Amino acid sequence: MTDREPVHKPTLEKQTPARPLPGDRDISEQAKRMIRVDHAGEFGAVRIYAGQRAIMGEKHPKAGLLKHMYEQEEVHLERFNKFIRERGVRPTIMAPFWHVVGFALGAGTALMGEKAAMACTQAVEEVIDDHYQHQLDTLDGADPELEEMIEVFQAEEVEHKRIAEEHGAEEAPGYSVLSAAIKAGCKAAIWISKRV
Amino acid sequence: MTSASDDRTPLELRLPLLEAILPHVAFDGWTETALKMAAEDLNISREMAELAFPRGVIEVLELHFEEADKTLAEKLDEMDIQSMKIRDRITVAVRTRLEQQTPNREVVRRGLATLAMPQNLALGSKALWATSDTMWRAAGDTSTDHNWYTKRMTLSGVYSAVVMYWLNDESEDFADTWAFLDRRIEDVMKIEKAKFQMRKACEKMPSLSGFLGRLRYPTSH
Repeated sequence: MTDREPVHKPTLEKQTPARPLPGDRDISEQAKRMIRVDHAGEFGAVRIYAGQRAIMGEKHPKAGLLKHMYEQEEVHLERFNKFIRERGVRPTIMAPFWHVVGFALGAGTALMGEKAAMACTQAVEEVIDDHYQHQLDTLDGADPELEEMIEVFQAEEVEHKRIAEEHGAEEAPGYSVLSAAIKAGCKAAIWISKRV
Repeated sequence: MTSASDDRTPLELRLPLLEAILPHVAFDGWTETALKMAAEDLNISREMAELAFPRGVIEVLELHFEEADKTLAEKLDEMDIQSMKIRDRITVAVRTRLEQQTPNREVVRRGLATLAMPQNLALGSKALWATSDTMWRAAGDTSTDHNWYTKRMTLSGVYSAVVMYWLNDESEDFADTWAFLDRRIEDVMKIEKAKFQMRKACEKMPSLSGFLGRLRYPTSH
């Protein structure tokens, strides 16, 4: 039992009970799954930006922007690497797969054009923002160390999303289709990485 | 019942029961009979032992592995193996584990017999994986990608082979086992060397993304 008020807190999609139900995983087990999926996500993000940078090149007008976002994602990844080591979390077995898929997604959208690349960034970061928010709602004070990190990273992901929007994400040809496809892909990736 | 004077909870009885069962395991194997005798030795009722280990003796075996991993991690922490070369760290880890279990060699043998039964295969592989995880973490492994898996798989292979050798080793101070261990590590190093050479060769391959990028954005490369 916790001494917190049993408040019902609205999450993004559905109401979740304020207290764990029988059969729920305990919070440390959940935190491990979160670290696994977040690590996989940041790993994927690094690979997406790496793919975009490889295609767009060093001297492209957006190169500085991409480098900035790439470097922030690298910091996130390093932090989650550290979490994995400290807490003995099993990393996702899909890493080699995300290595290729992330790069291909970045490179593919960059080949379509710089606006499509921005649409990709916007779609990915939007899913990640929701995903982090969901984790913060679930943890709700149970793991301050992890929550503090997630809050900082979430703010930076939102910043990436804003940058992408400012640089014409929504003007990309076929924006709605592209964005919906990438979002669905990201959600599938999250589902898989939580588990394996 | 005889347990009237003993007011330890079932949870608190787990470790004493594990300790008490070991001498019996050498004769009776990891069986309910051994657990019953351990309970008798501790002067507690059969029912208390069942409450401590609801899934029976297999749970005692599980705890035995957990405790062995814990003592191994503690010992390796003390030994400051981080200052050694990686291959020495792993050699020392395997050797320390076996040295810690030397008084329990018969217990380990009976444990392997139990784990070889089909219904226990999952537990056996889980325990083996946990032990190699303990060793790699003590050795300061920092990988978080596929290497995390391959390292543990390779070590599981080496460790299980060495355990089998060690169980039948009659040489003085297990000298034959340590030589066998060195040869197995040597084999692994050969694979690692080949992998390193392959990676170096792959680096020289032309990059597809660079080529496509120059076509799409000719001015920015």
